[in-house]
Formats: sequence, C-alpha cells, structure tokens
Amino acid sequence: MTLLRVEHVDKSYGDEEVLHDVSFEMQRQDVEVIVGPSGSGKSTLLRCVNRLTEIDDGAIYLDGEEIHALDENELRRRVGMVFQDFNLFAHRTARGNVTLGLRQVLGMPREEAEATADDYLERVGLADQAESYPAELSGGQQQRVGIARALAMEPELILFDEPTSALDPELIGEVLSVMRDLADEGTTMLCVTHEMGFARSAASRITFLDDGRIVERGPPETLFEDPEHERTRAFLGELAGIQ
Amino acid sequence: MDPVLLQASDWQFVLENWQFLLLGTVVTVLLTATSLGLGFLTGFPAGAIEVYGSGRLQAAVSTAGVVLRGTPIVVLIVLFFFGLPLPRLGTVPLLEVDLKAFVAATLALGLRSAAYQAQVFRGAIQSIGEGQMEAARSIGMSERQAIQHVIFPQAIRRSIPGFQNEFTIVLKDTSVAFAIGLAELLTRAEQLYLQPGRDTAVMEVLIAISAVYFVLTFTTNRTLDYLNEVYAVPGGNE
Repeated sequence: MTLLRVEHVDKSYGDEEVLHDVSFEMQRQDVEVIVGPSGSGKSTLLRCVNRLTEIDDGAIYLDGEEIHALDENELRRRVGMVFQDFNLFAHRTARGNVTLGLRQVLGMPREEAEATADDYLERVGLADQAESYPAELSGGQQQRVGIARALAMEPELILFDEPTSALDPELIGEVLSVMRDLADEGTTMLCVTHEMGFARSAASRITFLDDGRIVERGPPETLFEDPEHERTRAFLGELAGIQ
Repeated sequence: MDPVLLQASDWQFVLENWQFLLLGTVVTVLLTATSLGLGFLTGFPAGAIEVYGSGRLQAAVSTAGVVLRGTPIVVLIVLFFFGLPLPRLGTVPLLEVDLKAFVAATLALGLRSAAYQAQVFRGAIQSIGEGQMEAARSIGMSERQAIQHVIFPQAIRRSIPGFQNEFTIVLKDTSVAFAIGLAELLTRAEQLYLQPGRDTAVMEVLIAISAVYFVLTFTTNRTLDYLNEVYAVPGGNE
C-alpha cells in the first residue's frame, strides 16, 4: 500500500534549481535510501516531505492525502525526522527529549510519557542514560536519543537526514545497528546516507539523485551490480572505494 | 576650618545615624526591586518581539529601545517626574518616600533597564541554534510551543550573566533618584552631612553608603552565581 507519493516536485532557491521534476513512491515498510553527491538536493527533498522546506511545484501525498492540505503540525507528528547534527534539546535529559513531544503534542500525562520514553530509550539501548543530558552523551548515544525521540511519536514514516555523517567512525555502527533493527521491524524509512553497507543490506530501493534529478532508482543489487547509467556506477564505485 | 578627612568623631556621627541610613537602604532595595521587576516584565517580551515579531510592533519596540538606551538616566528620571501627569500620591510614613517620586523613578529606571534586558534576552535567543527550533517543529510542536518549551528555557539560562550586570547597574543607578529628592540612600546621606556643622562628615558618610552598595551588589551577585550553578545544564552555555 502506497504511503508516500512524490509527484513532479520542483524546488529552487533563488535562481538555483535544487530539485527538478522529482517523482517516486514508497510502500509501507519500505526502506528507501537516497544517495548522491553533496549539493544534489537529497536533504532538501527530505525536508520537503515534512514541510521544513516548502516545494515550488508538484505534489506530495502521505497515505493518499496531499501534505499541503494537512495541518503542518499534524503532518510532522506523522512524519518523524532524525537530523545529521542530532539537534537534541540541550536543556533536557535524554528522557526529557523524548517526553516533550509526547506531553506537548500528544497531550500524554507525565507518568505515561515517562514510561513511554523509557521504553523507547530501551529500544535504542539507552535505558541507563535516561537521566543524562545531551552534552554528557557521545555522538552515537545522542543520535540514538534522536531516533527514540522520533520513534516515540509513532510516526508512519521516519526521515533520516545523514544520521551518521557527524559521527566519529567508531560510533557509526551503533546508530546503523538501531536503524537496521527498525528496518527489520517494518518501520517505513526514507534515508539520506552515504553508508553503502546499510544501503545494500537494508534498503528496499536506492535512489540516485544528481543535480536535483533522479538519475536512477531500483533495488540495491541492480544499482550496485548492474546500474543503467555510467554516472551511477561511477558514484557508487567511488563511495564503495572509500569505505 | 579645613575639614579634616576621616576623623573619629565623624565616624561616630555615621554610627549614630545608622537607622536613618538603614531607612534609605530599604528604599534603595525597594526601588531596585520594582525597577528590575518592571525591566524584566517589559524587557523580556520586548526581546522576544525583536526576534520573533514583525511590522509596526517590532519597529516600535526597537525604536523605544534605542531612545531609552540613548538618553542619560538623570534626564529620564527628571523628565518622568516633572513631565508625566502623575497624581500626587502622598508620602509613606517612616520611609518618608514621596510616592509620586518613587513611581517616576521606577518608570525611568525600569524602562531603561527593560531596554537593556531586551538586548540581553534577544542575544540569548539568537545564540540558540536553528536546529533546536527545527527539531521541535519536526515532532509536531507549533512555533509557539517550540519557543515556550525549547527556546526560552535555554535562552533564560544564557541570560543570567547579562542580568547580573543589569542588576548591579540598576542598584547603583537608583542613586540618581537623588535628583528628584526621593529619600533613598544617597539622598539621606546628603541630608546627614548638610546638617549644620556636619560638613566635615561628607567623606565618612559617602564611604559608609558606598560600603552598603558594595555589600548589596556583592551578596546578590553571589546568590545569582549560586542559582546559575543550580539551574545550569551540562553544556547549556555552549
């Protein structure tokens, strides 16, 4: 069943066209990985889906409803986001980061919100860090709190915007392992990442975006083994070579 | 006769009048409290309007701030006392405070402080990274909720050092109420050394009240330092 449908989306910043006629569809439980060179529009595309950025033209449907017809806060409650720089609320503990949305957006009573937060922190392996402030956590731990914060709202779709790009190499594994678990559990995920290992093993589809256009899209084995376009081969080959 | 500096009999005079000076100290503390209170209640929303507001309201707030920060405090206090149509409000017994003068001084000191506190708060808000707002919006919070629950709690903590400065400045500047005869500490000090035959005690009286101002600023700053530590969040000032 189609959860997300992106149709002919255009987006420019001034004279610079960032997205050009981008269209794709995701089914529930799909894990879609978007790859592409820096400046190709990957993050912008993600941000258009929860309207942190507004599109210029085209349409985006969530579960059949055009997202601009929805209240933006309602949309964002249904579409979670995990940020490259974590963006944890610096003045709140790990638990406080998770409870804030539960309390303020969902109106959950305090005790229920705290119990729920602790459940999600446990899911990302941080049950023992519930009382820690972001500055007391490693980057990998912070990002796992960021994932717990998004998950706790029980979104239908989670956007991952380069979730491991700001991490030291030795901390990437713990975040990817949480993401893999989510994928295995059937979470619908739209991920911008350069982690080709994750893309290969967890993605249902990979989209290669270059210069604001979808160059090629398909299952990982096709894109890695037998891409249609030379540009795709060159880019993925380069990424794989680095890792 | 040349006044002999710092003689024992003049210190004796200061000690004999400690109750008289204490009443002035009470007025100074009250005026500091009302002025800072007014400054906080006005300055905070003003700082927020400077960041999040738009149009005429923002322009008006910003212009008022420029005018208040650009006018000498003695001028403000005299203008407010003689220029505002304040009714005669009578005098508080014991403290001998003319309420009209007290109100005028509170308005002048308070609004000027608001203009500075607004800048402290504006700077603190703007120092909070854009990502904090985005993260709050990304879980479905409205802009208002995000400001209230994510931006303000962090900005207030970052404002504390600026408020400490502001407190010290306002406390000492209550002494300009001297210009409109309000019976605060400096005015009472003057009343002492202007008594017949007491002109030798000018230095002693002024040194004594300076010590009072110092003790007040020092202890309050220490208290605020302590509060700053209690409410500090790890990494909250980064």
